[in-house]
Amino acid sequence: MGCVCSSGVKHTPGYEDPALLAKETPFTVSEVEALYELFKKLSSSIINDGRIHKEEFQLALFRNRNRRNLFADRIFDLFDQKRNGVIEFGEFVRSLGVFHPNTPVEDKITFAFRLYDLRRTGFIEKEELTEMVIALLHESDLVLSEDVIEVIVDKTFNDADIKGDGKIDKDEWKQFVANNPSLIKNMTLPYLK
Amino acid sequence: MMGSNVGYFFTKTCIIAIPYDLLVLLDEIGFNHQNKFNNHAQMRYESAISGGPKHELVEDGNVLMQKYEFGKILGQGNFAKVYHGRDLKSNENIAIKVIDKEKVLKVGLIDQTKREISVMGMVKHPNIIQLYEVMATKTKIYFAMEYAKGGELFDKVAKGRLKEDVARKYFQQLICAVDFCHTRGVYHRDLKPENLLLDEYGNLKVTDFGLSAHTDCTRLDGLLHTTCGTPAYVAPEVISRRGYDGAKADIWSCGVILFVLLTSQLPFNDPNIMQMYKKISKAEYKCPHSFPPEVRRLLKRILDPNPITRISMKKIMENSWFKKGLDTKQMNDSDLKPHFEPKKPDFTKFNAFDIISLSTGFDLSGLFVGSDQKDEAKFTSTKPASDVISKLEQIAAGLKMEVCMKKGGLLKIKKPSESRNGPLLIDVEIFEITSSFHLVELKKSSGDALEYQKLFKQDIKPALQELVWAWHGE
Repeated sequence: MGCVCSSGVKHTPGYEDPALLAKETPFTVSEVEALYELFKKLSSSIINDGRIHKEEFQLALFRNRNRRNLFADRIFDLFDQKRNGVIEFGEFVRSLGVFHPNTPVEDKITFAFRLYDLRRTGFIEKEELTEMVIALLHESDLVLSEDVIEVIVDKTFNDADIKGDGKIDKDEWKQFVANNPSLIKNMTLPYLK
Repeated sequence: MMGSNVGYFFTKTCIIAIPYDLLVLLDEIGFNHQNKFNNHAQMRYESAISGGPKHELVEDGNVLMQKYEFGKILGQGNFAKVYHGRDLKSNENIAIKVIDKEKVLKVGLIDQTKREISVMGMVKHPNIIQLYEVMATKTKIYFAMEYAKGGELFDKVAKGRLKEDVARKYFQQLICAVDFCHTRGVYHRDLKPENLLLDEYGNLKVTDFGLSAHTDCTRLDGLLHTTCGTPAYVAPEVISRRGYDGAKADIWSCGVILFVLLTSQLPFNDPNIMQMYKKISKAEYKCPHSFPPEVRRLLKRILDPNPITRISMKKIMENSWFKKGLDTKQMNDSDLKPHFEPKKPDFTKFNAFDIISLSTGFDLSGLFVGSDQKDEAKFTSTKPASDVISKLEQIAAGLKMEVCMKKGGLLKIKKPSESRNGPLLIDVEIFEITSSFHLVELKKSSGDALEYQKLFKQDIKPALQELVWAWHGE
């Protein structure tokens, strides 16, 4: 299978020039080239079409192509900038750039906000936060009563929703992360450095 | 000078912010069945006390919910009236606070949680006014509460400053009450004279815990001083509307109260509201010459405009001036309801975003390395944190590793190693999700990756198994 690639000419359909991508992202040209090798591996694991499908993404993260996860779904959706259901090489590099240790914190904060704004309303609403907490608990085999979940969510909203309008906007989110910097720890991948 | 202070003490214009959630909740659970109540009887009642509210729940002249009898009015503000009352069953004195929902809603509500109400309903502390019951109709909310016979503490202070010992006693009781709630995640956010009452024995009783919230009065009409009493007790970070830590804001207010008790003057006072803000934000105040140096020092630590460096509750309670003559019985929870566990160790409390940020869905390291090559692992446990710690100590001892405890539930496990990557260091962090669920995170912080993975797989993981509810990402 891999023998075709050795010709070095044929690129995946969404291929972009590593030098240009390196300019846009915290990666060096050689790092982008290394990411291209990784991308080729990931994008051919199930369907060899040079694009990462959701199942391929799940397979890479969980070693299980059928394992669904709300948050992995969200990451996939944000990586898929063109919103055509697959991740192309350029999208892959630009999005991974957010997770680079050298990327400015503001970019990470913004990315996390978009992740958590499940319905893309420009706000994180209470229902969204509740849905995400339930998803995480489910993932961890934790069962908490609705009351307890509500308490946790309400408490968080109390602290984060400064204006008290029942939703968290971008500015409130920035402030909240400033007070709780550990919240965006998951937006940095040490492996990228 | 004195006159203007007294004016503040007697300005009864507190706004009580009731969480919208609670209103919805109360409506949902059907407290608004007006047909149950006799409106004619209510009219009669109203004519009996002039200017009284419309008590939709009142029947038979002056009885609420067939349980509480209304008496004379004790106080009133823009949005609430407080009546003396009697529990018909126990014949005990109570206070009934009646809040006009519509007026409160018009002001725009601070989103306070239902939880705070429910917690306050259960909390029993000798220095906190107990909330017995909450009732509501479409237009009104009723709180049946403990009655404080001794009236307001500030009626006393208005007559002149208190002796140091007396002031300290009230301050101790105030701090104990506030700390008690803080350890349960409830913040007052609006500590001020109107909220400090006395019982018949002269003990301090804090009221409106979990009910009050700092209301953004300037939005109402821009005339903060006329609509909302005084900002004199409010911490600078609250005024500047930065996101703030409720605990630290309460501590500031306690400092202002201590100053007032000792001097019967406000530390920050100015007829011009903007000047008052200025003084507060710079913590510009002058202690009288009579102040003992230890009080000055303590006040300086409390009235620190920077909430981050401001003294903590714990440190206040360790302060030597504070501890003088302290009745230690008040400090422990022994006479409290048994379902509240004693103060928990200081583990990092998780907010909802902390919880979701744990998802394996965010962990993109799988794109780069296999799952058995990761440098970190997480598991949840239903065991108490102390069990987790002692188990880790036991494992470490068996592996000839050292354990050192750090603050906030962080442990470091160290293995002296000959490998060229230096000693192996593992960080273990314990987070509290709820009181019965902890999340434990193990992470190699330095040393050889292979050595760590081998040690983790062969020794640590199997030994931990009895604590583990579920491993994350497996």
